[in-house]
Parts: sequence; C-alpha cells; structure tokens
Amino acid sequence: MRVQDCWHPVALSHSIEAGSSAGTRLLDRELVVWRDNSGVAHVWEDRCPHRGMKLSFGFVRGDHIACLYHGWQYNSGGHCQYIPAHPALEVPKTIKVQVYPAHERSGMIWTTLPENPAAVPEDDEPVVPLRSLYLGCGFDAAIEALSACRLVPFASDAPAETTVSRVTDTLFAVSCAQDRLLVGVQAISTTRTACHLSLCGPAQRYLGAGQIHFNDWALQLRRAAEQAPAAQAAPDRDVA
Amino acid sequence: MTRESARFVFKGSFRTKSFVEFARHRAERLGLDVQFGQAGVAVVAMDVSGAVELVDAFEMACSLGPLDCFVLDVVRHGGVATAGV
Repeated sequence: MRVQDCWHPVALSHSIEAGSSAGTRLLDRELVVWRDNSGVAHVWEDRCPHRGMKLSFGFVRGDHIACLYHGWQYNSGGHCQYIPAHPALEVPKTIKVQVYPAHERSGMIWTTLPENPAAVPEDDEPVVPLRSLYLGCGFDAAIEALSACRLVPFASDAPAETTVSRVTDTLFAVSCAQDRLLVGVQAISTTRTACHLSLCGPAQRYLGAGQIHFNDWALQLRRAAEQAPAAQAAPDRDVA
Repeated sequence: MTRESARFVFKGSFRTKSFVEFARHRAERLGLDVQFGQAGVAVVAMDVSGAVELVDAFEMACSLGPLDCFVLDVVRHGGVATAGV
C-alpha cells in the first residue's frame, strides 16, 4: 500500500479547539484543519478559491470558515455561501474548496487524500493527548527511529521490554510495562515528518507528571530520528 | 440576481491554448457560460454570460491571465442585463 492511499494523522484533537483553525502539510499539500463551533473537525485544501489566501489564516463562525482576505464564507461542505462585497449574489456551487474526509481516532484528527479511501482505522480506547513532534527527516527515517526506540515505564523503576507494533500504515503503538503510547506519523514532505502522540489510559494516570515523562522520551525520539543516516536521504514514500 | 451577457476581446500576447484553458477554468469556477470565438496569438474573443458580479470577476481574473500570457487591453461589448429568478 502506498502512503498516499492511507489515512494520515494531521493534528492532535486537543490542539484544534472549537472555532479555531491551523495550517499543516501532508505529502507536500497544504491543508487547513479546523473545528466548527459544534465541535466537528474538518480538513480542507488550505486555499481560498478566490485569491489563493490560506484559509488557515481565516476565522470560524458557527459551521462556516471565512477567508481573512475578502471574507468569503464557506459552509462545512466547502461551498462558498456568502461574498461580503456582493451580499445579494447567489453564489454558484462551483465556487468550492477541496474538502477531504476527516475523522477523529486515538486522540488525533485523520484525513485521507484519495476519493475512495480505505476504511477509517478503528481505535476507540480512551487516550490522553501528549504532544505533536516535528522531525527534520522523512517518513521512513522517522519510522526507523521509532522502531528502534526504547521506552522507560512511567511510575515504575523496574526495567521492562519495549514493543513497537504497527497498528496501521501510519499509526504505531509503543508499549512498555503498563504504558502504551500511540504515535501517528504524518508525512509532511520528503524531509519533514510529524509525530502525534497520545497515551492510552485514564487521564488521572498520566496528566501532569506522566506527560512530562513521555515528553522527554519524545525529544529523544526526535534526536535519534534526525541523527540517523536515513534522515539525510530522500525517502521512498512507498510503504511495503 | 441580475444576469449579463457580454463579449470580451482580450488583446496582447498569448499562448492561445494556455489562455483559453485559463479562461475556461475561471468561467467554470464562477459558474459562467462561455463560448470562445477568435483565438489567436494577439487576440482572444469570447462570449460570457452569468451573474453580473461574476462576469466582472471573470474580466478581472482574465485581465491578469496565466503566467505565460500578457494581456494589454480588454474590450467589453454588450452587457445585456436581464433579471434572474
């Protein structure tokens, strides 16, 4: 399966608050991830069809996002509904932003680029958000570093074996003793990768000290990924 | 909504195929009907109809044109406005 055909994590769910938007990149495409006021997440091409302005600079009102430049408003289907300079105009349906599917799983917002995507990865266990980590290396180098990583259990001095398993093409589980860390890997470009990290388990176990503990691990992961020889090579985007 | 039919004559230096594709894409995006007439390296003409505001937007978009074309002048004829439903 090629990476282009997968579901991809593009943000931690808790990073995109209701009524806000953020820009990101996936496989060199610019995307806006935004959440309407009712809490539904959306992933679109980050470009207003009018003058090409990034919609991630825009503002969310109800279930619409509006471009910062001229205020063109788009509904949740990506159709332009209102042009402030021409308030009486019935806007044609052809004025539309490219909309991608969006789902939330494992504490992350996921999207996929093909028109007929595979099924959404299933994973409904409770998670605690940790952080998003941006790496100066390609997708394969990040996975290589992740596969070789070792986790120190939280709240336990006893050594324990680390197991890294691939849940989907872009979601990994790193387990050690009673801890299980989910890592969603986002291929930003050939030289940039993001890892979105969530901790499986109840909030009372990990909030605060647990998050700090695994944040230190995340920083080590970044260092390892960026120092690996593979980080210097342009990776092949195909995943076996 | 007020509709308008207008004939545009764009004058300048064109890669004809590039300019026609650019204009066709913009017309499609703006929900306009377009019929191309003369299309050469110095002149491209077309009839456009649709919402008057969007015909204006079309003129603006095409006056900028694609990167490989250079629009020097735009002549607009007609402008037959009819009240829409």
